[in-house]
Amino acid sequence: MSPLPFDPLLLAIAAPLAVALAIALGLPKRFSVKLAYVGFALPALLALHCWYYFPADAADGYAFVTQYGTGLSALGISLKLGLNGIALPLFVMAGIVGLAAGLYAIQSGAERLKLYLMLLLIMQGGLMGVFASIDVFFFYFFHELALIPTFIMVGIWGGRDRNYAAMKLTIYLTLGAMLSLAGLIAIYVQSGANSFDLIELRRALGEAPLALSLQKYLFGLLLFGFGILVSLWPFHTWAPLGYGAAPSSVAMMHAGVLKKFGLYGFIQIALPLLPQGAPSWTPLLAWLALGNIVIIGLVTIAQRDLKQMVGYASVMHVGYGLLGVACLSVLGAGGVVLFMVAHGLTVALLFMLTTSIYHRTGTFDMQEMGGLAQKAPVLAAFFLTAMLASIGLPGPGLLNFWGELAIFMAVYAHAGWMVVPAVLGVVISAIYGLRAVGSVFYGQPTENFLAHQQKHPVTDLRWNERIPALILLVTLIALGIWPRSISDPINATLSAFYPAIEAVATRITP
Amino acid sequence: MTPVQNALALLFLPLATALVTALFFRRQPAVGRALSLVAAAGIVLLGGRLIFFTENFTIAAEWLSLGPLTIKLGILVDDLTKLMLFVVAFIGFLIHVFSIGYMKGEAHAARFFGCLSLFMFSMIGLTLADDLIMLFIFWELVGLSSFLLINFYYDRPAAVLASKKAFIVNRIGDFGFLLGIILAYWAFDTITLVDIAARLDTSPDLVATSIALLIFCGAVGKSGQFPLHVWLPDAMEGPTPVSALIHAATMVAAGIFLLCRVGVIMTGDALTVILWTGVVTALFAGVTAFGQRDIKRILAYSTISQLGFMVAAYALGSLVALRNGADQALAGVTAGAAAAMFHLTTHAFFKALLFLGAGSVIHASHHEQDIYRLGGLWKKMPITFATFTLGTLALAGAPFFSGFFSKDAILLLAWQYQPVVFGLLLFGALLTAFYMTRLWSAAFLGAPRSDGAEHAHESPASMTVPLVLLSIGAVLAGYGWFYPSALAVVPTAALALLQGEGHTLVAVAGSAAFVFGAGLGLLFYRPGATGDFLQQRLPALYHVMAERFYIDALYDWYVAKVQQRFAMLLNFLEQILLAGLIVRGFAGLVGLLGLGARALHTGSLNAYVYWFLLGLVILWAGVAGVFNLQ
Repeated sequence: MSPLPFDPLLLAIAAPLAVALAIALGLPKRFSVKLAYVGFALPALLALHCWYYFPADAADGYAFVTQYGTGLSALGISLKLGLNGIALPLFVMAGIVGLAAGLYAIQSGAERLKLYLMLLLIMQGGLMGVFASIDVFFFYFFHELALIPTFIMVGIWGGRDRNYAAMKLTIYLTLGAMLSLAGLIAIYVQSGANSFDLIELRRALGEAPLALSLQKYLFGLLLFGFGILVSLWPFHTWAPLGYGAAPSSVAMMHAGVLKKFGLYGFIQIALPLLPQGAPSWTPLLAWLALGNIVIIGLVTIAQRDLKQMVGYASVMHVGYGLLGVACLSVLGAGGVVLFMVAHGLTVALLFMLTTSIYHRTGTFDMQEMGGLAQKAPVLAAFFLTAMLASIGLPGPGLLNFWGELAIFMAVYAHAGWMVVPAVLGVVISAIYGLRAVGSVFYGQPTENFLAHQQKHPVTDLRWNERIPALILLVTLIALGIWPRSISDPINATLSAFYPAIEAVATRITP
Repeated sequence: MTPVQNALALLFLPLATALVTALFFRRQPAVGRALSLVAAAGIVLLGGRLIFFTENFTIAAEWLSLGPLTIKLGILVDDLTKLMLFVVAFIGFLIHVFSIGYMKGEAHAARFFGCLSLFMFSMIGLTLADDLIMLFIFWELVGLSSFLLINFYYDRPAAVLASKKAFIVNRIGDFGFLLGIILAYWAFDTITLVDIAARLDTSPDLVATSIALLIFCGAVGKSGQFPLHVWLPDAMEGPTPVSALIHAATMVAAGIFLLCRVGVIMTGDALTVILWTGVVTALFAGVTAFGQRDIKRILAYSTISQLGFMVAAYALGSLVALRNGADQALAGVTAGAAAAMFHLTTHAFFKALLFLGAGSVIHASHHEQDIYRLGGLWKKMPITFATFTLGTLALAGAPFFSGFFSKDAILLLAWQYQPVVFGLLLFGALLTAFYMTRLWSAAFLGAPRSDGAEHAHESPASMTVPLVLLSIGAVLAGYGWFYPSALAVVPTAALALLQGEGHTLVAVAGSAAFVFGAGLGLLFYRPGATGDFLQQRLPALYHVMAERFYIDALYDWYVAKVQQRFAMLLNFLEQILLAGLIVRGFAGLVGLLGLGARALHTGSLNAYVYWFLLGLVILWAGVAGVFNLQ
């Protein structure tokens, strides 16, 4: 199916890791940077390649399947790679966001740039691996591979409160990851498949499902494990703090891609493997997700720090994803996948532009800015577009809108009135979104900002900042205009996976 | 060119020029202006071809499919589309021409014209939509264009506030609209309007009423109905051509268009709510207009009031039909839709004319907008004065002018429905004549009362020619023969109403309302007065009206004192309770277990093992039934 003479998935994972290794082995700086371009670009190009050649009728729903021995076959672990309709859009998104984050990092002029790029490349390899793995062990392994550089980079290159933020991030995310791992291992042990291969696990559990009570416990474990990783309310406090402190490329890759691990885990693993365990947890999940949307939405309104605000906004929007998962349906889960792609691209763009704003204002405090559009109209246009996309305005945010619409449709079908607070998020996000745009770009600059401008003249967005922004924005808009390019594979895969779930799903609200 | 290609070219031409301007000609006002004008002219040609040489058609394609959800987007061209398209294309073009003169010397004119093209794209998309989702998408896009144009002068705090207010208030309406779409999909299993009409009787009445009212919420926001009208007067912060095109003639009328589009899902209960919303809006805004001194704000309240008339007309027609036992769902263009769209069309002409006239005045008098600081312009700006007078007569409902006929149709429906509603709307018509005479007399008659007015002179031809052309429409658009046959369906249906029961009485009453209103206006607001009559005699009442009955203040209070404080409180809890207590509590717990935060921070293997053990303990506890789930 793939016209390439090699495995595109393995290369997409290995290329950034290999570049990272080369840099670690002492490549001179100028070669390092050049090679880093390759390391970030190859995964994106290969992902686009896979997308283009993705067949409509893949066996087991997977395409580009390859398997590599690991010497751990006694434990049922092998590096099995492949993409199905759910993984494909996220794999593409990971490639695109990674490329944009990489380009932004290269032009950032960070201290110890080589180390920074090396860690980012490791992260990128991990991100590609998460979505390309059919083997659950490697799914988890690649997540950790991407997560550990996150902690280190926040600790070294972070902004204000970086040590506290790094510690908190580590505690929460490790706890979340551990709970998830415990759940995944338990599934492996109990399934009797003697394999971490997701296809095998699904087959084994389809023939002999786990006992109902066990399914419930395991789902609960995964719920909190994945939930913490996705910043489910009230386990979300690591996110705004962590993103507030994280260097921009790290925030882009974590908030944009890595954080999707939890939602992806729900849709790809937890729901198909534990269908009967889910319904007893979904009311709780839905209520907590409303906490994300409404409570965190209102908290977002109260933020003064631009980067924290973007962090809170991302926590709020994740609530839509969790709500979609709670619907236990093809429509809900499909909406979540669309939404994850949209959210990943949008939030990455927002974090990136936030840093670009910081470089021009010298502060993240929105009340100390103002009037930036007069000096930087292109930056203003990009930020406004990104913010409108993030609040789901059809147009720039058409893909976000499709995702939200599918989720809302599912919520009404499965949870009735809960759709009302969920849609209320549309108003809440308009309030904080426009407030941010207004106070940063419109009106007149504050005195402090004017004084800052005297010392550091403001320039508009430079081309090496525009290019990563354009990569994200063009992808987002193109997918929004023609959502079927990803929704058709999503629909095909989910329709094959989810009959068992939809059969047992119950309404969330009476 | 096939009809579909024609429609697509019509839709995407303005988007293309907007994009080209944004990407390549940001700093060249001349190029931006030329491109935008080309787009506007192209819209007239392509739109004309679609209106006059194309049969009605509909076409759709599947856009998204997930599980049971299938969304098809497409184009619907019918009589309603054609009339709306005519208004948008024709008035849009004239306003583009007017803008050439008005925006002369503006450094950011390229951005202005780019946004204007973006607006045309959005509005045409809205007009062509065959389904609720496509309507919603372009509905939001017109909101975006409106936002961008209101804060065109984005260094002015007032413009920024106004644009935010417009966007957020509209989003409140859209909140209901979106919920309505979701309910409609599950009730009818489709979002395509034609299919909804076919599947109508499957829906229970309560759900149908909810759907109708929720979708109406969208119209309440966009068409400035009470209580979401607050954004529209503030939107006058945008350049005046924008006020004419978007905030008077086309976008704000989109709510009426929406109602007519979804007419099939209306129920009696919903229509009653809609009727009273329209009546209250018409009267409330009419009264508020007396408390305003800014020429554009007066016109803005007048627009709100006229939109109230349209909304009421829409509801009245269907209510009358329902009472007469007609199956209104299946009639092509219902009486209510015809009356509403007819008034929309005549209003688009005379209100665009009035706003452009106001723009001409503002342009000439160096941005003087207070009517009591104008005056004497009848001599200095004869063309503007003459055309503005025609527009005023049309709006005030002077017999034989366009507004008279379209208002007459509404009053007649009200008369047939209920005397109380008729009386209220008649009073509304009287108010219209009254406050418009006040505006006209203060701004144009008497002697100049400011330097700006003193030195005013007639605007250039690019501004006066559109005024003259629009005034032709303002005078004649009430006659059936004004419309070519391709556009005549709706006006003919509305004019047919005028043959209905009680037509003589209603026509006489409508004329009397004009005479009394205008007479009172001349009596109380003498030409040349330097202050407001009401302000001098009844300052307390005037103050309440000037403060817009404190509704804006109420919203401001809510935003600042309730919403913001609640958000701050939640934020406080968030920061203190969660970030402080719980996390440090976790860290403390970790310390107790002998792990230590430092070990975690390094991500060392030991810590992972411990965490893994902890996970296993929790798992074991779970399996052993410690947590005891149901």
